This record gives sequence, structure tokens and C-alpha cells, in this order.
Amino acid sequence: QHGRLKVKSTAQQEEQKRQEREKKLKIFVAVRDACFSKRKEGIWDDEALKLTQQVLSSNPDFATLWNYRKEILMHQETVKEKDEVQTIYGAELSFLESCLQTNPKSYGSWYHRGWVSSRMPKPDWARELTLCDRCLSLDERNFHCWDYRRMVVKMSGVSVDQELAFTDRLIGSNFSNYSSWHYRSTLLPLLHPESPEPPSPCLKPLLKEYELVQNAFFTDPNDQSAWFYYRWLLGRAEREDMISCVYVSRDEERVAVAFSRPVNSVGLLLVLDGQPQRVEWRSVHPRFKHSPLWICDLPPGTISDISYEHNLTVHWTEKHIHRDCALYTGRTESYCRDSAMDQELFRSELSVEKTSVLQSELQSCNQLQELEPLNKWCSLTIILLMRALDPLGYEKEMLAHFQTLREVDSMRSAYYSDLCSKFMIENTILKMEYAEVRVFSISDKNLTTLCHLDQLLLVTHINLSSNQLQRLPPQFAMLQCLEVLEADNNSIENLEGLYHLPKLEEVLLKNNKLIAAKHHQQSAMPLASCPKLKRLDLRGNPVTQIANVESELAELLPAVKDLLL
Amino acid sequence: MAAEELPSEFDVVILGTGLVESVVAAACSRVGQRVLHLDRRSYYAANWASFTFNGLLTWIQQHHESQSEEVQDRSSLLEEGEELIYLCNSDSASISNLQTHDFVQSQAPHTDGEEPETAQPQPPTAPSQSEPVRKKISYTHLVKEGRRFNIDLVSKLMFSRGSLVDLLIKSNVSRYAEFKNITRILTYRNGNTEQVPCSRADVFASRQLSVVEKRKLMRFLTSCVEETEEQQVYNGRPYLEFLRDQHLGDNLQHFLLHSIAMVTEDTPTEVGLTSTRHFLRSLGRYGNTPFLFPVYGLGEIPQCFCRMCAVFGGIYCLRHSVQCLLVDKNTNRCKGVIDSRGQRISCSHFVVEDGFVSAERKKVATPPRSISRAVLITDASILPSDSDQQVSMVTVPPIAAGSPSVTMVELCSATMTCAPGTYLVHLTCQSVGSAHEDLSPVVTRMFHTSESHDQDERPSVLWCLYFNMADGSAAQVEGHDLPSNVHMCSGPDGGLGHEHAITQAQSIFDKILPQEDFCPPAPNPEDIIYTEEETKKEGVEEEEEKETTKEGEEEEEEKTNEEEKETKKEKEEEEEETKPLKEE
Repeated sequence: QHGRLKVKSTAQQEEQKRQEREKKLKIFVAVRDACFSKRKEGIWDDEALKLTQQVLSSNPDFATLWNYRKEILMHQETVKEKDEVQTIYGAELSFLESCLQTNPKSYGSWYHRGWVSSRMPKPDWARELTLCDRCLSLDERNFHCWDYRRMVVKMSGVSVDQELAFTDRLIGSNFSNYSSWHYRSTLLPLLHPESPEPPSPCLKPLLKEYELVQNAFFTDPNDQSAWFYYRWLLGRAEREDMISCVYVSRDEERVAVAFSRPVNSVGLLLVLDGQPQRVEWRSVHPRFKHSPLWICDLPPGTISDISYEHNLTVHWTEKHIHRDCALYTGRTESYCRDSAMDQELFRSELSVEKTSVLQSELQSCNQLQELEPLNKWCSLTIILLMRALDPLGYEKEMLAHFQTLREVDSMRSAYYSDLCSKFMIENTILKMEYAEVRVFSISDKNLTTLCHLDQLLLVTHINLSSNQLQRLPPQFAMLQCLEVLEADNNSIENLEGLYHLPKLEEVLLKNNKLIAAKHHQQSAMPLASCPKLKRLDLRGNPVTQIANVESELAELLPAVKDLLL
Repeated sequence: MAAEELPSEFDVVILGTGLVESVVAAACSRVGQRVLHLDRRSYYAANWASFTFNGLLTWIQQHHESQSEEVQDRSSLLEEGEELIYLCNSDSASISNLQTHDFVQSQAPHTDGEEPETAQPQPPTAPSQSEPVRKKISYTHLVKEGRRFNIDLVSKLMFSRGSLVDLLIKSNVSRYAEFKNITRILTYRNGNTEQVPCSRADVFASRQLSVVEKRKLMRFLTSCVEETEEQQVYNGRPYLEFLRDQHLGDNLQHFLLHSIAMVTEDTPTEVGLTSTRHFLRSLGRYGNTPFLFPVYGLGEIPQCFCRMCAVFGGIYCLRHSVQCLLVDKNTNRCKGVIDSRGQRISCSHFVVEDGFVSAERKKVATPPRSISRAVLITDASILPSDSDQQVSMVTVPPIAAGSPSVTMVELCSATMTCAPGTYLVHLTCQSVGSAHEDLSPVVTRMFHTSESHDQDERPSVLWCLYFNMADGSAAQVEGHDLPSNVHMCSGPDGGLGHEHAITQAQSIFDKILPQEDFCPPAPNPEDIIYTEEETKKEGVEEEEEKETTKEGEEEEEEKTNEEEKETKKEKEEEEEETKPLKEE
């Protein structure tokens, strides 16, 4: 057409590009081979530096060549003056900068930069820090740069205050930045080491953090990063390692020891009446190598005579702690423990100030909830705050919030149900301990899972009826004192946890989903391992539909007198 | 082009180098039209131009001595069946009420002497003794540093998703300029200048909003992007009423009405929402505010399009005008033009800036609307912050009933529009009275002038200029008493964005070349094939054009050399953080 410009067609452009690529490839291969042969010959000269530079500048992820460069540079260190070495390393840094421009996420370049910086006679850390800041301003999520930056900060001794200000800046420009929030969570404990006395100076910075993170989640309540950081801020104190309970039973000649966290049995020592005992520690189920509960059998006859008093001590040599337990005359069992209440197990350790802080945090979250009734992060945080403040007092509100959560975030409804179950079990444990009984009853509460079973070591009667449980997990075997299990009207199809329960006499499993005994020998009928089982109710389970199930069960469980099918 | 004769045949002749004319020129040239682009003035961009400080003083001077050239009779050049339409040769009608003040202690002559009689005389007040010590910059200094200024006659900003930015990207014209983000949006309220939180990061960082307000604001901003039935209920009712019913509180209502929607209290809801959406759509594309500003000033933009036109063969002549149009009596179409040298040039379309069309042929809104403008050079930012290189957009709601709402743009030296240590402040509003009447109340409130005697922290005005400019949106595209192939372009409108100009340019282009694409992407220079064989095949005509192409490019070179070479080097040293426009 008249007067039009002629423009190369895409095919022409492609062809041109292809030719250029081929030419480049030829050069690349030639230079690469030259580098390899030089390395083989052990030549560490300037030319080798030039050649490797040529290849690396087009492909900065060529680790072998970076290594070759390291060899060359280390060789130069030995033959050249200090000033010259400094210049060489300086040149290396500017070369690396150009590599980072081609690929800001090159592992090879960042790693080599770290190596150079740490070897340089007079490293210019300020310059490195500026470089990192520039990179992060281009891509705040470049984790290579974050890594390198941490190294620079460490080497140059940048103060924690300055670093905190740095995260302030990054969060200010875009608060959806996990890296920065996380970095804060590592800096704050350094800046304000948790000191028990006096607690007040720690409060002010904490309040400032709450304010900062609140600004973020009020601005955008759907942004997760702020909520996660908030949860870290609210986080509970680490629980100290301890032996929470020692239980001894005369009949079984057995000792059970509960710990504040899962441990292995290394370093456990049992002393009976001043005599160290040679015993074999085992967990309650072969599946657990780590467990919060360990048991051992005493040599037969050591404590069986009821007219003797015995003094037991369990030593946890690894942590230099121990716990005593006395078994008095005439008693068949004894225990010594800290209850969940004593340990404040299910809530943070709160000072009076912190309680008031959390109270006001709860208020602002409620305020946000009013504005954003469908925000799941807000509801969940409210639940956590309520748990920390008063788990029993807020039970009703908590259940309502869980209901909202299941509705607005139906994809995770099972997660919320499990979490709700966990909190309900915690509450029931607290109630049980207030009442000072050994009966644990939590029926008709929509439980979907069982947890905290290590806390139920002493329970003799448990009622789990009318929930939505599908299994009695292996942890259930921690209920070493259990005599009666009521679990009617659930969906239980797996009895794995009813494993070697020494005192279990009665098991009520009406209207569950237990199937054929034979096919599920492993999972359905570990009951055979419970020596004292006398009464078993399996009415309303699919298993009862099987022909000659009665005889099969009788064969499997000869001790059971009362079998209801 | 000296005394050289111009070719006598073109497809499109364009008179005036304002934004609309320049875009039309680029668009026509890009699709192969032979374009002759003329301007009577000695500078590009007409009322869209930017001037150095000294250049602006000359411009002011020129407007005071309105020169009228003698109209030469060209009827001797008429052929049979033709008649002449004379164009007017003075465009000064679009500018009125010019007056300047300088408030710096100096021995330099005051420019006030040049005030026209029509303007309210503002006798230069003697510099008072109480003036703050920080005032160190003298008038001589301003003149000496004059080349560092690029003072725009119009004050506009580019919406990041506005039609100008889209056009710059689409056409690749963006490669000829660099841009900076407006870094913050401010508003004047209860006697204070406050930052308006509009982006997510701003809202997060804002100290004046409570967390609940933050939530409400964010929620409003996210929700109003979508049209809802709830909003429709408010159609025809004031936007302010709609905002009130959202329970937003006074703070947020102010921000949303004046700074984000940038409308008045009685603007209907649907209009308010549309402009809120326009604002929000532009947010976050290039930064924390929705606006961009071209480095070296807005006058760059028309020039970029001219450059594009020249690259594709357009011929440029400044100080060269068209005296009259040759009209075919039978068809009432313009056959060609007679230029200021008496040369007859034939063309199929003639595009003209409205200032050259005599008033009786134009159809304009009555009463004629105009824009009030003020340009200030100050010594400090109206809201000092950590960085002294902020570029701020400030909305000033009416300070009294009946006064206009004022848009203010404060530019720092990083935009290459003012000397380091100074700020360039543009004020714009729809005229109610003269520029001085409309804007000086705002100036005296927000700045320290020698008229305001109280000592304070406000920035001092070193020099200022007031003038009125005809509102380009008052001129209509249709209905003028002109041949059908003569297209009139209006000057700058009062709006903040460039929508009016770009829409007009496109509609003119569509009338000239209804089948053609408007500003398709220009190819990369390396992809253009120049083969002699092909040009020969297509004949002599083509070869001629080749030459003109060259000339065009030379012309373009000339332009760059003349206007930019001297200052460019110094400028480049200070440059930083300029952003090339790219499609994301």
C-alpha cells in the first residue's frame, strides 16, 4: 500500500533470532570447553578468569565454573599483594552484580557473592546492604537476597533496631510480606528478651506490635500474612519439660510415667525404695517411638504384697528432673502429678497486664467481626483469644464462632470440626479436674477426633457417646486405668486404640460401624489384648450381620461373658 | 526550513501543535498520510506548552503586546470556482487576565509593570522586614536558574489507566518520554494540609485514621468498583448523600468526595461513582497513586507525538502559518491552503487549532467558559516529609460558598520542572471570576506571600503568575461554519486528565480516515526494512516521499538539538527513578 513502512515478518524475525542463537551457542560451547581444559591443566591465570566470566555472564548458574573461579581467586590470594587481592575481589563483586541483573534469583551468583564477601580483605558491608535493599525493592520476595542479606547483617553487625526499622519500611510499602513479618518475629525476641522480672518494660513494644498488625488486618482482613504474625504475637509460652505424672499399680506391678511432651525412653531411670531397677520401658502402642507416656513392668513380686509401703522415684536424667511417688500400705495404686489446671495447660501463662492486653485485643477483633462478619481469619483469632482468656467462660461463644467458620469456609469445615473437638476436650478435661473425679464424659458434642489422651491416664470411666468419632486411635491406649468405655452412637470402624488396656472390663459400642471381625482382625478386634474384658456391646454394628459371628467372637474373646450382638 | 519551498501537495495539513493536533498528526502520518504540520508560534504545543522561566517571561510579554499582522489579500491566487476563508492570526484571545507578582527581595525589575489594565492592579508590596530568614532565593537566582524550569501552561496529570497512557503505550510513543509517579495525594481541610490515604499501603500507614475507619474505607473502595442495585437507588441524588448513608464519617466522606472522586457536593451519585472508579482503576498500576507526570513537563507530550509524526515522514515548520483556506464553491470542501508566505498547498484535509478560526465561524458554549490558572514558585513543600522530592496532587474544596474547588499540583525538582530548592505549584479551577479572584484566596491561605503578614511555617511564594485560559471543552466538534473536511481542535480543557483531548483526536482521525487503525504500534527501528529496490518499483512518487521522510527526520533532529541539547546533560545527571511506561 501507498507509503507504508515495510516491517520484517515474524518468520524473518524468527530466522534472524535463530541464527543469532546458533552463533551464540557456538561461542558458548567453545569458551566452556576452553575453561574445562584449563582447569584440567591446573592453570589459574587471568585468562581463565576472563573465560569463565564470559560463560557465567550468560549463564550464571554454572556451578562448576564458579568453583573454578574460586580456585583461581584462592590461588591469586597466595601470589598477590593484599591491595591487589582487594581489587580483584572488588572486580568480582561488580561482575556478580551484572550476573544478578541478568538473573536476580541465581543460586550460583548469590552463593558466590557470599563467598567473595567473606573472603575479601576489606569488605564494604554498607555497599552490600544497599545492594540488597535495591534488590528487595525490585522484588520483596527474593529469598536468595533475604538469605544473603542476613549474612551481611550478621557479618557487619547491623543493630537489631536498624533491622527492625528496615522491616518497618518494607511492611509500610506492602504489608503482604511474610518475609518481613517473619523477620520481625526473629528480631523482637532479640530486642526484648523475655525476662520474668519485671514484666512491664516488655509490654510497650508488644502493644506497638499489636497496633501495627491491627492496622494491617483492618486494612485488608483477607491478607493472611498479618494474621499469621498476629498469632505469633499472641502465642503461648513454651511449656517447660517436666514429668507431669507418675502412676503405679500394685495389681499389674506396672509403672506409667507421663511427660509434658512426647519423648523417647532414653535416660529414664526408675528407683524403687532406693534401689535402681532394671526395667524395660515401652510406649503404650508399638507404633510410638516418641510418646508422652511410657510404661514399664516391675519384676514380679516386688510390690505385690499389700502390707508394704514403697517409694518410687522416676529420674529423667537427660533433663535432670525427677518425680517421687509413694505407694502406701493397703493401697492398690497411687499417683503423683500436676493437673492440667496446675500447669495451665490449655491457656497462655498470662500476667495481669497481658490479660488486659488480650482483653482489649479481643475487643478490637470483635469490632472487626462486626464490620466483617464473614471473615474467617477474624473469627478464628477471636476463638484463640477467648481460649487464652477464659476457655470455659467463652465456650458458648466459641461454638457459635466455629459454626460461622464451618459455614463461611466450608472447604475447611473438617479442620474446624477437629479444632473444635480439641478445644471441647480441653474444656472437659478442665471440668473433670475441677470436679476432682476420674470420669471423663463428653457425649453429644459433635466430636470428630480425640486428642490430649495423655491427659487421661488416670481416667477410669469414659463416655464418648453420640459423637462423630470414626476411630479410637492408638493414643487411646494411654488410658491405662480405663475400666468402662461408653462410645455408643458414633461412626467408629476402627478400635486400634483398645490395645493392652489392663483394667478394661466393659466396652459399649452400640450403633457404630464395626465390620467383619476376621477381615479386620488387626483393626477391629485388638480387644483380645485386653485381659479383663467381660462385657461387650456390639448391637447395631454391621459386624453383627455376619453369619456365625457369635462363635467367631467367642473364640477370639473367650473371657467375655456378656456379649451383646 | 529557511526560505525553501514546501512541497505543494499533502494529504493532511495541520495548523497548531497542541495535543489534539499533534496526536492527529502522528496518527495520520503513521498510516502513511503525507502530513504538513505548521505552527505560527516559535515553540511547540500551543497552550499545552512548557516554558523555561525566562521563556515564560517572554511568553507573558508577547501576550501583553498583542501583535496584529496585516492581512494580505490572497485573492490573486484563487482559481475558478474557489473562494477564500481567512484565518485569524492571533491566538492571544484564549489567554486573559495575565498578572504576575514576585515576592522576593531583589534588585531585579518587577514584572508587575507589565500588567494589563484589565487585571486588578496588585501594586508590588515592599518586602516586609518580618520575612522569614529561610528565604534566600532571589529573583536574579530564578532568572539565572531559569533554564531548570519547565513551566506548563496547563496543569494536568495522566491517569495511569487513562486514554492518554493507553495511547502512549499502544502507539509506542511512550519511548520518547519518561514519567514519574505522583507520590502522594493531599487535601486541604480545616486549615491543614493532610495526606489522603488511597492505596492499600497508604491506608495501612495512615496515622489519622482509626482502624475501624481503615476498614470502612477499604471496604468502600473495594465495593464501589462493582455496580450494585444499592447504588442505583441513589441515581440522580447527590453523591454526598450516598456517602453519608454508608456511615463513613466526616473524614472519609471528605477524602472520597473531594480527593478521590474529585467532584462537588451536589454531583449526582452515578457521576461520583464513575469518577471514583476511574481513580481506582488507575491506582496501583505504576505506584501508590493513580497519576503519572511526564519528566520535563506536560509540554513534552505533544512534542512526542510530533516526533512520531516526523519519524513517519511528517514535515514540520514553526513560525509558519496558514493564512487562508481555498474552498471549492460547489462542494464546499477545502481544496488547499495558502501559507503565510503565499504558497498554495493542496490537501484533502485541514486540521486547525480553534484559536486560528475566527469567532464568528465557531460554535461555542455560551457564556464562554474558562479556566483559572495560577503558577507559583515556592521555597518549600506544602507538606514537608522525609523526602524533599515528593510530587503531590492537592485537592482544595471550595473555601467559601460559591468559590470553585481548586486542583493543585506541586512539582519538585526531580520532575525536571523547577530548580533544586524550589517547588513549582500549579493551581487550576473552573473560572468563577478572574484567575486572581478565584485563586488568590487559596494562595494566601496556604502559602506565605507578602500579602499575608503573619509569620508562619507555610512555604513562601517567590514568584507567581495568574491567568485565565479559554476552556477547550467549551468548543464543540460539530456545527461550525467550516467546510466538511476542515477539522477544528480545541485547546486544553479544565479536567485533570486528558480524556477530552484524546477522544477528540481520535474522532477527528476517524473522520479523516474512517477505515484506518488509530495509532497502531510503531515497529522497532531494527525491524524496518529499507531496500532501494522496493522503493524504485513503486515509482517516482514514492522516491519523493523518501526524501521528505529524510527531511522530516532531520527536522526532528533539529528540534531535539535546539530545544533539549543544552539542558539535557545537566538534567540527566540528576535523573533518577524515572519510569518507562510498559504494559504489565
